[in-house]
Amino acid sequence: MPDPSMRAWEPEIQPRQTLSHRLEHGARHLLPSLFCMLVIILFSAPLPLPGIAELMPAIVMATVFFWSFWRPSGMPSLAVFFLGLFMDLVGFTPLGVSAFILLLVHGVGLYARFGLMRMHFLLAWGVFALVALGACLLQWGLACLFRLHMLDLPPTLFEAFLSIGAYPPLSALFSWLLHRLDGKEQD
Amino acid sequence: MIPVSIQIRQALGKLVLPLLLLLSIGIIIVGQADRKLADRVRMVVADGLSPFWTLVSTTQERTVAIATNLREAGRLARENARLKTENENLRRWYDVAVSLTRENDSLKTALHWIPEPAPAFVTGRVVADTGGIYARAVLLVAGTESGVEVGNIALASNGLAGRVTETGAHSARILLITDIASRLPVMLEGSHAPAIMVGDNSPMPRLMYYAQDTRPVEGERVVTSDQAGAFPAGLPIGTVHYVSEGRPVVAPFAQLDHLNLLRVFNFGHSQVEPPDAPGHVPLAPPHKAQDLPFKNLLGQG
Repeated sequence: MPDPSMRAWEPEIQPRQTLSHRLEHGARHLLPSLFCMLVIILFSAPLPLPGIAELMPAIVMATVFFWSFWRPSGMPSLAVFFLGLFMDLVGFTPLGVSAFILLLVHGVGLYARFGLMRMHFLLAWGVFALVALGACLLQWGLACLFRLHMLDLPPTLFEAFLSIGAYPPLSALFSWLLHRLDGKEQD
Repeated sequence: MIPVSIQIRQALGKLVLPLLLLLSIGIIIVGQADRKLADRVRMVVADGLSPFWTLVSTTQERTVAIATNLREAGRLARENARLKTENENLRRWYDVAVSLTRENDSLKTALHWIPEPAPAFVTGRVVADTGGIYARAVLLVAGTESGVEVGNIALASNGLAGRVTETGAHSARILLITDIASRLPVMLEGSHAPAIMVGDNSPMPRLMYYAQDTRPVEGERVVTSDQAGAFPAGLPIGTVHYVSEGRPVVAPFAQLDHLNLLRVFNFGHSQVEPPDAPGHVPLAPPHKAQDLPFKNLLGQG
C-alpha cells in the first residue's frame, strides 16, 4: 500500500535507504525516549531542587502524551513500557505501576490521536489535564491499595498540577523539534 | 525481518498495547508477591546508574562551588577596594602622627622635658573568674615572685581591666572595674572633667559625681585620672553611654566577661611626693596621708 500520506506514521514502507540515512532515522525515532530516559536519570540524582521527585513523572507523562498523539513512531508502546519500568526501578513506586499508568496515558493519546491532532492547543491541553489528573489519582489509589491504608492526597494533586504545568513548555519545545525534523526530512 | 503481510502486521501492532498492559499488571502482581526480588532488581539498576548520578552530583557540587567562589571573589574585590581607601586614609594619618611625634619631640627638647619612667610589666594568664569576697574578680598566674604587688594595675589588650588586691607567691587576685567594690577616679577626655566610676556588678559601671556643668557626652572617651594617686593619668577605660536619661555608664574597652591574658603594670610610686616645705610642719608622715585614699580605693576600708 504505497500511499504517500501513510509515510509519516508507517516509516517501514519506504524506498531502501543507505546506512547513514537509517542511522539518522533511528536516532530521530529514539529521540523522545532518550529524552525521557535522560530526564529520569537526571531527576533521580540527588539534586537540591524542591519538588524534584514529583517533577520527574510529570515531565515523562507530558512527553509520552505529546508524542503518542503527534508522532507515535517516536514513542512506541514498547518504549513507553520500558520507560515506565525504568522509572519504577529508579524510583520508589511499586514495580510496574508507572509502566501501567504510562501505557494508559499512551493508549489514550494513541486512540484519540486523530481527534486530538485537529484540536486547538488549549483543548488538547485540557484533555491532557484530565488524563494527568486521572493518572495521578489512579497511582494514588494503587499506592493506597498496596499499603492498605489511606495516603495523603495533596502530593498526588501537586504532581498532577506539575504535569499540567509542564505540558505547555514541553509541547512548545517538541513542536519546534517536529518542525525541524520534518523540514530536514523534506530536504 | 519476517515477511508478513501488512494486514497481519497492523493487527499485531494493535495487540501490542493491550499485551503490554497485561504484562505490566503481571509485573505489579509479581512485584507485590515477591518484594525481595523487586528490591534486588532495583539495587542492580541503582548500581548501574550510580556512575551517572555521581557525575551529576559532582557537576552540581562543582557548579555550586564555582558560583560560591565567584561570589566570594566579588566580595573580596569590594573588600579590597574598601581596604585600599582605608589604607590611604590611614597612611595620611600615619604621616600626620609621625610629624606630630617629631614636633612633640622637638618641643619637649626645647622645653627641657623630664621624661617619665617607663613602667615595668608582667603578663599572666587568667585562670579563674571568681573567688574571694568579690563578685567580679579574676585570678592571674603571676605573683610576688614575678614582681606583682598589691595596687598594681591590670590592663587587657585594649583597656583597663582592674587592680591587684591580693597577691600570693604565684598568683594574684585582680578586682575588676565592674565589681561593686570598685570606685575609680576617672576623667572625661572631652571636657577634662573629673568623675567617679562606680562598679555595680553589671557589665557597665556607672559614672557618678561629675560636675553638673560638664555632663558626660554620649560616646566620650573615659580615661583614668591621677587624682587620688592610685592610677597614672590617661589609661583608656571605655566610652560614655547613656542607658537612660541622666544615668551615664561606661562601656569598657576591655572585654571583661572573657578575659584571657592580662598585663600587670607597676607604675611605681606614681604619686608625686611633695618635698617638705620649709616652715610647714606636717601633722602626719606625708606618705601615710597619701596612702589612705589608695587603700580605701582597694576596698579594704
